[in-house]
Amino acid sequence: MKNRLKVLRAERDWTQAQLAEALDVSRQTINAIETGKFDPSLPLAFRAARLFGLAIEAIFHDPALDDHGSSLATEIKKKY
Amino acid sequence: MSSIDYITTTKDDIMNQSTTRESSYESRTQANVLRIFWWSLAWVGTCALLVFGPKFLWAKALVFTLLAVGLNVLVGVCAIMANKTYFEELDDLQRRVHLNSLAITVGVAFIAAVPYSVLDAYHVIPFHADVAHLVMLMGLTYAASNLYGTRRYR
Repeated sequence: MKNRLKVLRAERDWTQAQLAEALDVSRQTINAIETGKFDPSLPLAFRAARLFGLAIEAIFHDPALDDHGSSLATEIKKKY
Repeated sequence: MSSIDYITTTKDDIMNQSTTRESSYESRTQANVLRIFWWSLAWVGTCALLVFGPKFLWAKALVFTLLAVGLNVLVGVCAIMANKTYFEELDDLQRRVHLNSLAITVGVAFIAAVPYSVLDAYHVIPFHADVAHLVMLMGLTYAASNLYGTRRYR
């Protein structure tokens, strides 16, 4: 799972500690999410989305799903 | 609140939001850890009372021994509840680290217990297989796994 948490945080000039406090998690959790070592739970992803005023998929996305989506589109084109 | 309000959220807004909340994650975790510490300490105290009390304090009077057992169980349950609260209030990552540590600890305890008791039964080891050794092994395994998990996600 990839995410834009670090970029969104930097745009607002927030530290990891401030974001952690706003999302009610530890700073280590923010760091692990930003570095892609840990994927957040759905409630935490919703909290992040609410905080940044964005949809969840605008912050988190799965590249594997993108690949699957494009291959699915190619398959459909071939069929029809 | 509209989405525009969220987008214009500033650092100060976040800090104000945090201060109005009952307590921050860090302070809640610290309070929970402290609660576990005190309950665990109390439980160790009741264990000592249970072990030494019958011999040194009440001359093996059954009523007092049963009362000491009751107290030990009661304080033990409180320690378990404190630990449960601590787990419930951990964030996603910390809970995962602790759950992994617990899984490893339980696995190690099961795997170690059987051969250890067999070694004792066949007198391969020169001492009696004490359950305290298993408890120590579990404690050390839990601490090591927790340290590993914490470093892994650093």
